[in-house]
Amino acid sequence: MWQILKKELLEITRDRKTLFFMIALPILIFPLLIGGVIYLGASAASDAKAKSLDFAVITNVANVELADKLAAVDNLNLIELTQTPSSDEEIAQLIKSGELDFVLKIPDNYGDDLLNSGQILITLYLNAAQLNFVQERLDEITKEISERNQKAAFEILGVSPEVQTGLLEPIKIERENVADQRETIGATIGGMIPYFLFILCLQGAMIPAGDIGAGEKERGTLETLLLSPISRTQIVLGKFLTLCVAGVTSALVTVLSIAIWSLVVSQGFQIEKVAEFMSSIDLIDFLLVFFMLVPIVAIFSASLLSLSIYARSYKEAQGYMSPLIFVVLVPVMIALMPGIELKGVYAWIPLTNVALAIKELVKGTMDYFQLLAIFGSSVLLAGALLYFCVYWFNREKVLFR
Amino acid sequence: MIKISNLAKKFKVENPKKLSEQDKKDPRLQGRYFHSIKDVSLSCDNGEVLGLLGPNGAGKTTTLRVLSTALEPDQGAIEINGVDVIQNPVEARKKIGFLSGSTGLYGRLTGRENIAYFGRLNGLSDAQIEEKITVLAKQLDMETFLDRRSENYSTGMKQKTSIARAVVHDPEVIVLDEPTTGLDIMATSTVIEFIRSLKEARIPVIFSTHHLDEVAELCDSVAIIDQGITTFQGSLDDFRAKSDASLHHAFLACVKKENV
Repeated sequence: MWQILKKELLEITRDRKTLFFMIALPILIFPLLIGGVIYLGASAASDAKAKSLDFAVITNVANVELADKLAAVDNLNLIELTQTPSSDEEIAQLIKSGELDFVLKIPDNYGDDLLNSGQILITLYLNAAQLNFVQERLDEITKEISERNQKAAFEILGVSPEVQTGLLEPIKIERENVADQRETIGATIGGMIPYFLFILCLQGAMIPAGDIGAGEKERGTLETLLLSPISRTQIVLGKFLTLCVAGVTSALVTVLSIAIWSLVVSQGFQIEKVAEFMSSIDLIDFLLVFFMLVPIVAIFSASLLSLSIYARSYKEAQGYMSPLIFVVLVPVMIALMPGIELKGVYAWIPLTNVALAIKELVKGTMDYFQLLAIFGSSVLLAGALLYFCVYWFNREKVLFR
Repeated sequence: MIKISNLAKKFKVENPKKLSEQDKKDPRLQGRYFHSIKDVSLSCDNGEVLGLLGPNGAGKTTTLRVLSTALEPDQGAIEINGVDVIQNPVEARKKIGFLSGSTGLYGRLTGRENIAYFGRLNGLSDAQIEEKITVLAKQLDMETFLDRRSENYSTGMKQKTSIARAVVHDPEVIVLDEPTTGLDIMATSTVIEFIRSLKEARIPVIFSTHHLDEVAELCDSVAIIDQGITTFQGSLDDFRAKSDASLHHAFLACVKKENV
């Protein structure tokens, strides 16, 4: 059995294609892709913020301070309209045609004397389907003017600063989150972690699985292997362990790569938050996640090996194995549904229970008693599948198709 | 010595519609089962080379697979130097060296690693394996390429490596299933030389083939399987005596008319 494991692993490390998918992809390609998407998103947003916008002001008031201040902003250009549009449709047309990016309609009561003017209702015409942060840029300036005028009005009325805050916001709700930071972050990302881990384990085991079963048939080495003086069970176990090692390695490499890259990326501004979150998870919880993955990987490996040895060729094996990804997704999706918790019958559904447990562990709200159900059902299923695989390997009609 | 008596093996037919026209006409197809071999008996003494002949689909490969323990027979007995192959398959495998024309190698391993892998599976120590590989490499003239990856080998190199792999554990009998099929003349002569050397070492060899010139060159005795039944077993001279004309005619005399 160990001889087979040793030889299969040697073969895997000699195969550039397998190594590429198992090591290079998670270490370099995935982070580059994800990083690329984040970078593009961020740069699109900053481009939009920096984009130069043309605007016009429609008003009967002379010397609108707001308009002057906006015009003074670097990338906002005040355009003098030759002809004042009379209706909303005409204004809309100006924006739709691209002549202007936004238009402000300022009412006649505009002025600094708040006590006389009352609320000033300015209409902003814009195409909200475009990302250009018009509102954000306007708010900056209107807030400044509003606060100044507010203060002046209060002074005239002789209202003390304490009363001022009360008047402005008579009742204020202050949120106090009793869930610690770990639980909050854990709830958001905890559901995604098993999703990634499962797929990675499956993917990692799937790459060598085709070679190890159907590949032996295709190359004509299976017969010789079967004629070696070792039992079929030993052959199965050797190959099964190879797939387990590949699955776990692939998952570990990816997780490490994600951890390292996120540390690198978050260097400087968020590192404390990440470090704090990570350190709040016990080593035991990390180990538990790992140990729960072991029977999961065993389930995957036994299924993959059974499919692969049944197939006549590597290509056929790929065809049989690919749908397994969707089969795996279903129990994980059950775990992601709201209201489904790690108790009762859900604690006994393989894969779903591990997905739920990983989420609980990350959140720090694990009911450790449920481990019994989790390991019980996972090990039982893995054992049954492995038993089937051994039985399958002893069938002449499977080996000599 | 190898002794096979009254061997039978049937396969379940999963989908009768998928069978070829020839298979459908075959009298060995009975209901849901295809009786690939029905009654095969033959024996091969030490130092003897037995040529196993028969038309395509006659049951030669099935017989050799059963003999080499890859398949389990439904009936019959096989004995190799006193060991009951069917009762002790794992024990019997240590005594058998098996090679076929389609045997492959692990391409990403070197020739040496391929041979060593099977040596280890046969329970040899690293020292024993190294010693054996040195001897075989010299004998088969494969020192120059032994440490290169086998995926880049020529057919001849591959066949030499396969031969070395098949005998690394010093088997007591050798089973060869069409060992020269698909090989070029150089590689074929390597195989023939190898069989000759086994004969000198008094190791019994059973090999199936379609080449009657190989039979004439190497074999001491001949067995013919036709539609799953041994229709002839005897010495090469007895086989020759079947026809005045040639070995081909002798062969045709031993198989049923509908195959001709």
